[in-house]
Amino acid sequence: MSEIFASLTEMMGFSMIGWETVLMWVIAFVLLYLGIFKEYEPLLLVPIGFGVLLANLPGAGLGIVDNSLVQHADGSYKSLLDIANEHGIMNFLYYALIKTGILPPIIFMGVGALTDFGPMLRNLKLALFGGAAQIGIFSVLLAAVIMGFTLPEAASLGIIGGADGPTAIYTTIKLAPHLLGPIAIAAYSYMALVPVIIPAVAKLLMKEKEFKIHMKKMDKQYPPKHDIKHLKTVKIIFPIVLGVIVAVFVPSSAPLLGMLLFGNLVKEIGPNTGRLAEAASGPIMNTATIFLGLTVGATMTSEVFLSGQTLGIIVGGFLAFAVSVAGGIFFVKLYNLFAKKKINPLVGATGLSAVPMASRVANDLALKYDKSNHILQYCMASNVSGVIGSAVAAGVLISFLG
Amino acid sequence: MENLNTALGLLVVGMVTVFIILCLVVVIGNLVIRLTNRFIPVAGPAAGTSGNGDAAGKRTHSKKLAVIVAAVDVVTHGQGNVESIERK
Repeated sequence: MSEIFASLTEMMGFSMIGWETVLMWVIAFVLLYLGIFKEYEPLLLVPIGFGVLLANLPGAGLGIVDNSLVQHADGSYKSLLDIANEHGIMNFLYYALIKTGILPPIIFMGVGALTDFGPMLRNLKLALFGGAAQIGIFSVLLAAVIMGFTLPEAASLGIIGGADGPTAIYTTIKLAPHLLGPIAIAAYSYMALVPVIIPAVAKLLMKEKEFKIHMKKMDKQYPPKHDIKHLKTVKIIFPIVLGVIVAVFVPSSAPLLGMLLFGNLVKEIGPNTGRLAEAASGPIMNTATIFLGLTVGATMTSEVFLSGQTLGIIVGGFLAFAVSVAGGIFFVKLYNLFAKKKINPLVGATGLSAVPMASRVANDLALKYDKSNHILQYCMASNVSGVIGSAVAAGVLISFLG
Repeated sequence: MENLNTALGLLVVGMVTVFIILCLVVVIGNLVIRLTNRFIPVAGPAAGTSGNGDAAGKRTHSKKLAVIVAAVDVVTHGQGNVESIERK
C-alpha cells in the first residue's frame, strides 16, 4: 500500500515544484493577464503566456529541451519521430516548425496579404524614412556587444528595434536560438507598448510647430509630379519586380520579403486569387500564430529564462525600440533643414514596422495638435517601408553572422 | 575589441544596405508608375460618353456584371455562379 502511495506521490508533480517554477508561473500569469485583460497583442501574448505555463508544469515534459539532447554524437539532428518519442509533442512542434524557420515566413505571407502598398506608392519618397528607423537595430547591437553579448546574440537583441515580431523571431532562430523566448517576449511586449513609447519619444524630441506640420497642406503647396493612373496594375507589378530585385541584392532576406510580397501579390490580383489571399491572411496565418506562440512560450523554462541575459534583453530591447523611433524623427528633422516641402517628423517615428499601430498612434498624436492634420496615409508609407527595411536589416545580420 | 569593430562595420554596412534597398523601392515604384501611365491607355468616362451611347451602356453593364460576379465568387468562396441578373 505504501509503495502505491509513494508511486502516486512520484506521479504527481508536487515534489518538483521549486521557487523557480512558481516564478515562471507568475510570469506566465502576467503575460496572460496582459493579453486577456489589457488586450496587449492578445493574439501573441496569450499563446506565448500559455506556452510558458505548459513548459513549466512539473513533470509534464512540455518544455523545449536543449539542442544537444536532440542531436546525435556527430552533430546531426535526430528524426522528428525520435524527437516526438523522446521529448513529446512540444519539442516535435518546435524542432519541426521553429528550428527550421518555417513559421515566420508563413506569417509574413499573411502580413503581406493584409498590407496595402497604396499609401507608400502614393508617397514614395517617404519610404526612405522607414530606413532611418532601423538605426536602433544596429546601435543596440553595438551596445549589446559592449555589454558582453556575443555578436549573434547582440544582433538578435538589436533586431527587436525593428518592431517586427516575425522578423525578430526569424533572426533569433538563425543566430541565437537559445534566446528565442526572452527576445520574442520583449519584441511583442514593446510592440504592444507602441502607444506609450512613440508619444514619449516624440514629445521628448519634437517641438510643437513640428507636430503641427500639415502634410496635406504641404501636398497642395508642392503637389506630386505625377499621378498614378493605374494603381491596381502598379500594385500587381510592384511586388513582383521588388521581390526579384531585393532577393538579388540581399538573398538572405528573401524568405521573409519573398513571402510578404507573394502574400501581397495574391491580395492585389483580386477575386481570381482572392481565396489564396483569404487563406494566407486567415486560416494559415492564424494556425502559424498558434504554434509560433505556444512553442516560443515553451522555450521559456526556468533554467533558460531566469538568467542575467534576460534582464539585458529586456533593457536592450526597450533601448532598441526607443532609438529606432528617435532615429526616424531625427532623419526627418535633418531632411526638413534642406527641403522646401516639410515633413512631419512623426512620419519618421513610424518607420518602425509595427503596422498599422505605429501609424495610428502617430496620427492621433498629430490630431491632438491640429484637428485637421490627418497624417495616417503618410505614416503608413514609412511604416510599410519599415517592414521592408527591418527584413533587409535581418537579412544583412543573418548573412554576416549566421 | 574585434567584436566591437565587427559591430561597427555591421552598423555601417547594414544601414547603407537598408537605404540602398529603400532607394530601389522608390526608383522601382516610380518606374512602374511612369511605365503604366505611359503604355496603358486610360479607360476614362470621357471615352464612353463621347462615343456611341449604346456601346458605352454595354461597357458599363459589363463592368457591373464583372463586379457582381467577383462579389459572388468571394462571398461563396468560388462555389457559386451568376446565371442571370434582373432589375427590380
